[in-house]
Amino acid sequence: MKSHKKDKMSPLSLPFSIFKLHPKALLLEWNQKPSRKLLFEIITFKAELEIKLEGVSQITMGYHSLLIEWNVKVLSKNFMYSTLSIIYFSIDYTKPTYNRHWKIPVCYEDEFAQDLERLSQELYLSPQQVIEIHSRGIYWVYFIGFLPGFLYLEGLDSKLFFPRKNRPVLKVPKGSVAIGGNQTGIYPNLSPGGWHIIGKTPVALFDPKKKPYCFAKSGDTLSFEAISKMEFENIEKKITEGSFTLA
Amino acid sequence: MIEIINSGFYTSIQDNGRNGLKNFGVPISGAMDQYSFSWANKLLNNLTNSAVLEMSFKGPKICFHEDTFIAITGALMGPKLNGFSVEMNKPIGIKKKDILQFGNVTKGSRTYLSVLGGFQTQKILGSRSQFKGITTIERINKQTVIPIKNLSFNLFKGAVIKHTMMDFNENILTAYEGPEFGLLPDNIKDQLGSQKFHLSHLNNRMGFQLKGKIKVKLPQIWTAPVLPGTVQCTPEGKLIILMRDAQVTGGYSRLLQLDDGALNCLAQKNTNDSLQFRIKKLT
Repeated sequence: MKSHKKDKMSPLSLPFSIFKLHPKALLLEWNQKPSRKLLFEIITFKAELEIKLEGVSQITMGYHSLLIEWNVKVLSKNFMYSTLSIIYFSIDYTKPTYNRHWKIPVCYEDEFAQDLERLSQELYLSPQQVIEIHSRGIYWVYFIGFLPGFLYLEGLDSKLFFPRKNRPVLKVPKGSVAIGGNQTGIYPNLSPGGWHIIGKTPVALFDPKKKPYCFAKSGDTLSFEAISKMEFENIEKKITEGSFTLA
Repeated sequence: MIEIINSGFYTSIQDNGRNGLKNFGVPISGAMDQYSFSWANKLLNNLTNSAVLEMSFKGPKICFHEDTFIAITGALMGPKLNGFSVEMNKPIGIKKKDILQFGNVTKGSRTYLSVLGGFQTQKILGSRSQFKGITTIERINKQTVIPIKNLSFNLFKGAVIKHTMMDFNENILTAYEGPEFGLLPDNIKDQLGSQKFHLSHLNNRMGFQLKGKIKVKLPQIWTAPVLPGTVQCTPEGKLIILMRDAQVTGGYSRLLQLDDGALNCLAQKNTNDSLQFRIKKLT
């Protein structure tokens, strides 16, 4: 019995499944829920794959997945299983990754927070409490998706969980900070959206003319810092002058 | 340069698209029907990634401000040069002040216009493909002026390029089993592989929604990377096929993945057109 169990827990079994999504792409999905520990495992593994796998055009992250795309057809799944195993088990996952913390200035004043009053009522909180809870949290950047520069953030206080709007709004202004379900996020561009808007940041989340195109990356953390409308305008001015640096 | 007098229904500059920027959330973009796109460039001996005009459903009216060569491929829109019908799928000499006009589509849905050397709009993040938030303009409007290159071109009389024309009547799309396909009950798997589906009016460069619903309850998935050609199923059972401008990650279950050829074929479909999946398993 014991040896059978040991077999199943063989140290060489990969913690993810390998799925051929396309003749030129493999999807790896971890057999566990997303967590910060898993996030860093995926980041480390991805970096190593980018160095060691040949002919890869890009590797994209999800909450507990990686999509590896090649320029040519991928070899069989069985062959890739051994290649991926060798790379996966050669890594020291305890090595620290280089990550930064970003303080995002957010103006929560009425003009930029069209849903704050209503959302607060629904949550049985005052707008001030919503702002306080939202701006004292530390959020982890899992990956970027949805729109250029849209950060998938984890870490919203469960007191602020609230279902998305039934009907998405057609035009959510660029820079809007919003809450939807168990997530919070920043709209990097004018777009339709179903989240509740509670503020706005003057900071650009995506700039195709400046490297890096988005300041944050997977594994970074960020927090929101409440600012007044005057500070918002000041920062906006500094950004146009090119004299603003994000802390 | 060329001047757009009338923009048509939806006209945009497209090439191969952007690669390697998905980690910033940047979609691939690029010509929806890559097959007709590359044919348009081949006819003029252009570099494979030269930018072309992609015209959907109704084409524009264009005035040329210099001599050049062009080629027209893809959907049929009855192109007329200075009022006279002009042939598709071959290089055509253009003189300064020539007017090229397209009408409504009669077969297929997207037509490609290539010009000698490719359209010279600004390259952003390695591509000229227009996309909101990336390029300064997201599509071609009336009075837009597009720079072109002044190149010479030798039209070899009698030269032949081997090319198989796309069959616009083809409606069988090769698709591979997606990650959640295995969770489907057998009757739904059969339904997906045998039923005729119809394209709804919700079809654009981001995605094509199919009419009707499939009756299935699928678990929610964690948001994960997707590809153009991923066939998603919404919680209410609607099928959405992601196209070239689709977001790079998605949270709906993934039932199928179209083959690249099938994606080009689908790009030429129109509202109400029927289609069928031929499902294969990748190993």
